[in-house]
Amino acid sequence: MLSRRQFLKTAAATALALAGRALAAPLAAAEKFFHDPPWKRKKPYWGYAIDTTKCIGCGRCVGACKTENDVPREPFYFRTWVERYAVRRDGETGVDSPNGGQDGYPPLRDPQEVAKSFFVPKLCNQCEHSPCVQVCPVGASYKTEDGVVMVDRKTCIGCRYCIQACPYGSRYFHPVLRVADKCTLCYHRIHKGLRPACVEVCPTGTRMFGDLSDPQSAVTRFRETERVLVLKPEMGTEPKVVYKGLDKEVR
Amino acid sequence: MRDVEHLVRVAGVFVLVISAFLIARHFLVPETFGKYGHYRAAAATEMGSLPLRYAGEPACLRCHAEQAKAKAGGGHRGVHCESCHGALEAHAQDPKAAQASKPGEAQMRAFCGSCHAKDISRPAKFPQQDLEQHNPGMPCSQCHNPHNPKP
Repeated sequence: MLSRRQFLKTAAATALALAGRALAAPLAAAEKFFHDPPWKRKKPYWGYAIDTTKCIGCGRCVGACKTENDVPREPFYFRTWVERYAVRRDGETGVDSPNGGQDGYPPLRDPQEVAKSFFVPKLCNQCEHSPCVQVCPVGASYKTEDGVVMVDRKTCIGCRYCIQACPYGSRYFHPVLRVADKCTLCYHRIHKGLRPACVEVCPTGTRMFGDLSDPQSAVTRFRETERVLVLKPEMGTEPKVVYKGLDKEVR
Repeated sequence: MRDVEHLVRVAGVFVLVISAFLIARHFLVPETFGKYGHYRAAAATEMGSLPLRYAGEPACLRCHAEQAKAKAGGGHRGVHCESCHGALEAHAQDPKAAQASKPGEAQMRAFCGSCHAKDISRPAKFPQQDLEQHNPGMPCSQCHNPHNPKP
């Protein structure tokens, strides 16, 4: 029979060995201890920026995304969409997004009451601490090494937990593929040096895309020169899409 | 050591269950899993191999340098070709088989208006026209060259 001393020695040795293995765990596990953003360590690291002061609500981005990514055309499946905000003088704010803004917007019913009105394009914010990645029960929702959050179509079981978890409403359930789907930053384009479809067709330069680890890229320069905000910072998701010109009425 | 049979049996059960688990794991976990993180690395590759529908600006320049030059000097210089002409990767791959489209005269006012119709939600400095007052009925291309639309 083991003596107490022997048992304690064995237990201590095992604990030390396991601790050693844990410390040698992959860098991803230690990611949360780094204070600098991931794009200081990984190249490339994709970022996105939106200048809402330039958006004209033409809806080209919505249509282009649907064409590029085979998103169903019915008016409730969007990887990106544009919202129109109308802040009225009595304090009420109306938001609408008819078919995501794809076909433009009907005229406001009471333009004389509207103090200010503007467009806010939205898409998946490719969060650093994305809740959608965290809640996936099967590990189908993941973030790549270059910062893009995507869905593994073969592993997704269609439970829709990620769609529920996203605070921005960026995800939808694909009716044909029967899996969760979302903006992938046109992953198939960005690896060939092209820009996402929405950025390509935006006529006003509202949408910007680039490599955050490159100090000369459009997105890095935008982040470093403009006053930018993110959507719902209180959620702690650390979105990578930055906005210029966000109003306090934008939700 | 005496009287350890019962412990040996329990240990044996543990060993059996753990080996069964490890064997099942070997077959069930996908191959590329864990390569870059807690996901199937092949999934990222699959997403990266989806077909292109939009060609991107440099693709058009290869054959249409003249239009590109006209555009570069005018107000539409920031507007990419596919913004008005639709998805053109098929056309870039085989220009004869897949023709590019452009808005016809009948749809022109609605088409150009989708960006340029006067709207209070649009930024004030953006060129807009009240299309019911501004030469109603006339197609825009009669006075404005779409590639260099000097007002």
